[in-house]
Amino acid sequence: MRRLTRVLPLAPAVVLLLLFLAGPIAYCVYIAFTDLQLTGQAHASFVGFGNFRHAFHDAEFRNAVWLTLVFTVLSSLVGQNTLGLALAALMKRASKPVRTLTGGVVITAWVLPEVVAGFLLYAFFRREGTLNALLDWLHLPRQNWLFTLPVLAVSFANVWRGTAFSMLVYSAALDEIPSEITEAAEVDGAGGWRRMWHITLPMIRRSIGTNLMLNTLQTLSVFGLIWVMTRGGPGNRSQTLPLFMYEQAFQNSMIGYGTAVALLLLVVGSLFSVVYLRLLRTEV
Amino acid sequence: MRPTAALSALLTAALAATALTGCGSGSGSSPNTLKVSYKQSTDNSVKVMDTYLAGVKKEFEKKYPGKKVEFVPIKAPDSEYYTKVQQMLRSPRTAPDLVYEDTFLINSDITSGYLKPLDPYLAKWPDWNQFIGTAKAAARGQDGKTYGVPDGTDTRGLWFDRRVFAKAGLPADWQPKTWADVLAAARTIKQKVPGVTPLNVYTGKPAGERSTMQGFEMLLYGTGQGTSDPLYDSATKKWITAGQGFKDALTFVETVYKEKLGPDVSDALDPNFATTVNGELLPQGKIGIDLDGSWLPQAWLAGSGHDWPDWSKQLGLAYMPTQNGQAPGKVSMSGGWTWAVPAKAGNPDLAFDFIKAMQSEANAKKWYIANSGISVRKDVAKDPSYATAQPGIKFFTDLVATTHYRPAYPAYPKVSTAVQEAMEGVTTGDASVEKAASAYDSTLKDVTGGQVIQK
Amino acid sequence: MPRKHASRRLAADVCLLLVTVAFGLPLAWVVLSSVDPHADLRVRVPGGLTLANFDAVLTPDITYTPLLNSLILCGGGTALTVACAALAAYPLSRFRSRLNRPFLLTILFATSLPITAIMVPVYALFVRVNLIDTLQGTIFFFAASQLPFAVWLMKNFMDGVPKELEEAAWTDGASSLQSLVRIVLPLMGPGLAVVTVFSFVMMWGNFFVPFMLLLTPDQMPASVSINDFFGNRGMVAYGQLAAFSVIYSTPVILLYILVARRLGGGFALGGAVKG
Repeated sequence: MRRLTRVLPLAPAVVLLLLFLAGPIAYCVYIAFTDLQLTGQAHASFVGFGNFRHAFHDAEFRNAVWLTLVFTVLSSLVGQNTLGLALAALMKRASKPVRTLTGGVVITAWVLPEVVAGFLLYAFFRREGTLNALLDWLHLPRQNWLFTLPVLAVSFANVWRGTAFSMLVYSAALDEIPSEITEAAEVDGAGGWRRMWHITLPMIRRSIGTNLMLNTLQTLSVFGLIWVMTRGGPGNRSQTLPLFMYEQAFQNSMIGYGTAVALLLLVVGSLFSVVYLRLLRTEV
Repeated sequence: MRPTAALSALLTAALAATALTGCGSGSGSSPNTLKVSYKQSTDNSVKVMDTYLAGVKKEFEKKYPGKKVEFVPIKAPDSEYYTKVQQMLRSPRTAPDLVYEDTFLINSDITSGYLKPLDPYLAKWPDWNQFIGTAKAAARGQDGKTYGVPDGTDTRGLWFDRRVFAKAGLPADWQPKTWADVLAAARTIKQKVPGVTPLNVYTGKPAGERSTMQGFEMLLYGTGQGTSDPLYDSATKKWITAGQGFKDALTFVETVYKEKLGPDVSDALDPNFATTVNGELLPQGKIGIDLDGSWLPQAWLAGSGHDWPDWSKQLGLAYMPTQNGQAPGKVSMSGGWTWAVPAKAGNPDLAFDFIKAMQSEANAKKWYIANSGISVRKDVAKDPSYATAQPGIKFFTDLVATTHYRPAYPAYPKVSTAVQEAMEGVTTGDASVEKAASAYDSTLKDVTGGQVIQK
Repeated sequence: MPRKHASRRLAADVCLLLVTVAFGLPLAWVVLSSVDPHADLRVRVPGGLTLANFDAVLTPDITYTPLLNSLILCGGGTALTVACAALAAYPLSRFRSRLNRPFLLTILFATSLPITAIMVPVYALFVRVNLIDTLQGTIFFFAASQLPFAVWLMKNFMDGVPKELEEAAWTDGASSLQSLVRIVLPLMGPGLAVVTVFSFVMMWGNFFVPFMLLLTPDQMPASVSINDFFGNRGMVAYGQLAAFSVIYSTPVILLYILVARRLGGGFALGGAVKG
């Protein structure tokens, strides 16, 4: 009885998770092996690994994988992570008003609803938008960003929207470095970059690891931002895996195939997740 | 049991109960409420359909006291509209009682079992005899049953702007004889009238079926001898791979966008570009030639959003020529929409009553005039007040004699998407004509389950 | 040394200000355009000041109904998430059990799954069990998708509440639930606020979940309706779009400020997730 009452408070959460998270994942595995269609089909049938074989021969799928990689590396690994660390480091030195202002603006971008962020950056990158106005003013060549370089545009959008998270994580991590250590290094005559490389980075490497994992996982599942800005286009030049999955499942009516792609995405996500868990291992 | 335990047990029970009742309860639609889903224009100022339906609703509710009509409009670009409708048709909870279905999709949805055969109703409805044969066939499934009542048809041709043509030194009664004539006129406009899009041809996936039908098929059906369908071989019941005509049509599209005779590619690939063309660019004289449908004037009628009483003075109409002027000399495609009753509808009888109300002779005429439709009812077609309601009706009605219909078999929507992908490739320049055509061949094989033939 | 310090601070200030301007431009666009009678796509000083844009969007169709739907969805989802998370966190934080570690590992694993990926099967499943296009179904899914992270955060915050106080209460005969509600939760007010606000903000901005699970236009929350209404860009009135964006974003920004104020800087979340 005593053990039971101890476990019971877990029940609502467990039930909810089983029904609405584990259930769909199991269903995902099932549908991924069928040829379920949204229209044009009387009965779905089991097709084994057909959808997966199809995916690996599908040039559009490879394109989506490639774009997802580019999007993730550019916006998460390079963009959010580096910029977030730089901002956190700079904020430690900056004066208070500037710190508050920067923090406020960067965090606002993060808190904004996804669709609003999408619209703002659509306006920013659009042919008649702010960025081109700025480039004209600087006498630099303008671009139709959303058309010529859509992956770059959506990657920047994701940096704009997601950097705050890394900034917060790194600010917290930097605050925990005892000031004696950096001061000692300074007395020894170590320059800014060397201090960063040899002392600061090794001390926050665990934060870097977890932040990278979380950023990557969030970036892998970005849908609304890209949908609002480009709908994966033009052509499929900004069609990352989530958008490809949606298009196959609904616009091309091939729910089975779309789900198979979803399952692959889920597997990749799980791999990252496991790595993340290993990084955290000692904590739990 | 302690309170904690009690609370969690309660929560669990509540959760399970809600989840279960979710499974049990039906759509919740009462037998007296009729839910009608239709496509609402993505142009917020165009309310043609909304206004018309509101009128019929008033009449209907008066005639059937105690019944209520509830509209579930879906505001989305074409391709997203179809997706939403199919999603709604899948579940009895969301299936409306009446749905507006494009004829190209209807066979596909029939195969999925989303729609209800209407034959028992049609047999008892005398007005059905007023419908012309092609219209009756438009919504007939492969099982021979009829699944929808068409509310008109359409044809397609070239709209050209006389203001632009005057500036370019082109004739006000322009009629091209070949594709080359069309391109030549566009090149002249590009040279002489800057700031105007010389020739608009819809392209790519975002514009959906509009690209396939107004753009590609208007070209493709004008290649070859024009004696058999270039997409589908009815003798073998197989889909035809990309042949010379297919490649020529792609080359035309490629030329338009490569030579910048068409709209800016990023505009052309905006899902709502058609709305802009219809509502802004044409009225403002920003397009030289527009390869488009017969329904365009519906947005320009008084009170329908973009009043343009003078349109028939400023715009001219020319039929789309065949590739080299070969017989019959002109090309048109016809499609149209139907009202259909979902298989999971709660009130099918009431739904058909609503169809009857919409398709009374008087209401049908009102609708044809309001949406610039081409009548598929003999009685309305003969009515002089319809035939003279708008300039252009005669031009487009005359095209019905030589028009083509799409092979709207269940696989057609997916074939259409494959066509759009091929068009998009040559439009953006990402793919050559050869490459786009061979990609089409392999997609065709996938989506038709290998039912393809080379011709 | 002090001079070097000052110049370094100046350099940092300048760098940060540059970044702030870059990040601020899109934000400036939305604020300026919302009061500009002739707004277009670029940032500029408004030609005049007007509230007409706000006036035009403040109708039941465009603003009130979608916002109310958002409130019901996110409010319901958040309440469910927080309640379940608090209950679940308690035994995880207070009692030693062989099950704790595997459970927490599973939870942590689930926090990082890309929810986007399972939306297609969730849609198909919801059609099967007839939960499609229902607010309660969407609320349940919202709650389930936020729950792993909420449980994890909640447990971490709860670990920070000293156990001694409850032990005193237990000896007085209080039950676990009583001590959770009367002692632990009040002591972890800021943590509770973080979990609540975080869940709410995530749901408020979410587009894909309601986009997939709801179909009837009348039930759509603001995140989806804004796209339907303004998705048609050729014709769009940018001033109105900006005004709507401002209205729709304000609640979450206010909530964030509220929590950040109370927690002194708002870095608590960063601290909690750094692992």
